This record gives sequence, structure tokens and C-alpha cells, in this order.
Amino acid sequence: MLRWIATLVLVGLFALNLWMPSSPLGRRGNERTVRAHVPAAASWVGQRLPDLAFEDLDGRVVRSADLLGHPLLLVFERSVDW
Amino acid sequence: MRAAAFRLVSGATGLLFVGAGLALFFAFFAYQQPGSQPALPMGPLGHYFAAFAGCALVGWGGALLAGARDLATGRGIAPMTALALAGLALYRMLGWFMGDYYAWAGDLLRYEAALFLLLALAFVWLRPAPERRIA
Repeated sequence: MLRWIATLVLVGLFALNLWMPSSPLGRRGNERTVRAHVPAAASWVGQRLPDLAFEDLDGRVVRSADLLGHPLLLVFERSVDW
Repeated sequence: MRAAAFRLVSGATGLLFVGAGLALFFAFFAYQQPGSQPALPMGPLGHYFAAFAGCALVGWGGALLAGARDLATGRGIAPMTALALAGLALYRMLGWFMGDYYAWAGDLLRYEAALFLLLALAFVWLRPAPERRIA
């Protein structure tokens, strides 16, 4: 009896593994988010950068106004330090 | 036939786990070398838990190898091995589904989950029968 219950659970998990959508939920979620925000982001091109303040790795506050006057590359990335 | 199949599955799984366990264990020591470039994207905490998992895998794999040699031992460890394999599959499926690991591992998590579930089924159905003893 226990063997059949275990088999039912395992086969159910196997079917779920096969049945799951072909692309992961999180990835599709990210795509949806990006698509939802692209029109809004496009309207920001050419606009002035809002006044922002960040804290760098040494704890010093960096304001967007401090970055004026020289070329600047902003890179946004998600941390992968697990 | 069933006993031979169990020995094969238990022995192969045991070897796989011992190998993977040793790799995770020694990855911790390799990571401590100055300027080391870890093969897996893990920080100090990740390597710490990987070494823990590695030691557990070596123990689990050793038990499976013992089960391949002695069927009575194999009968004892098969149910919990099947349960743990189902756990390995379950968290892989969730990890794949949520997408957090997709960029790093792609569909590998899903294939591994299928393999572990098949192995779990094998441990359920190939579990050796109890020994009959004549008093």
C-alpha cells in the first residue's frame, strides 16, 4: 500500500515536471514587467536625470548632481553573490 | 533480476553521490586559495553550505554503495533514499519554475528533477524483499 502511495506521489511530481510551462514563471514575469515599462521608459529618453542619491560601497553618499560635467555610464545589475 | 537491478541502481547512485560530494567538499578548500576563481557562482556562505552538503553526500553515497553490496542494508536505506531523491527533485522544480536559476542553469534543473524522480521510483520498486529466515 505504502509503495503505491509513494509511486502515486512520484509519478504526480514527474507529470508536474513535464507539465510545467515551457518557460519559467520568473523569466516570463520579467518579460512582462519589461514590456509593461518600455513605453514609459521610452518617454524618458532625452529627459533630465532626476535628482538621485546613492550610497557607495564605502558608505559615502553620491548625488546625481555630483556626477555632472563628465561622461558617465550607469550600469544596473542584479547581484549574483549567492 | 530485481536484486541485480537494485545493486546497479544503488551502486551507480552511490558512486555519483560520493563523486559529487567530494567535489563540493574540496571546492571549499580550493575557494580559500588567494585569487581563486570558483567554478560555481557562490560566495563564502555558499561554499560553506556546499562543503556541508558534500560531506552529507559522501555519507549517503557510501551507504548506497553498502546497500549495493548487501541487499538487507539496501532494503533499509531504499525508502529514505527515495524520499530524499523526491526532495532533490522538488526543490529543483520550484527553482526552475521561479526562474531565479534559469540564467545560470537553464533547463538543467528540470532534467535533473526528472532523473531524480526516476531514480526514486527505481528505489521504491526495486527495493529488495525481506530475507526469509528458517528457524
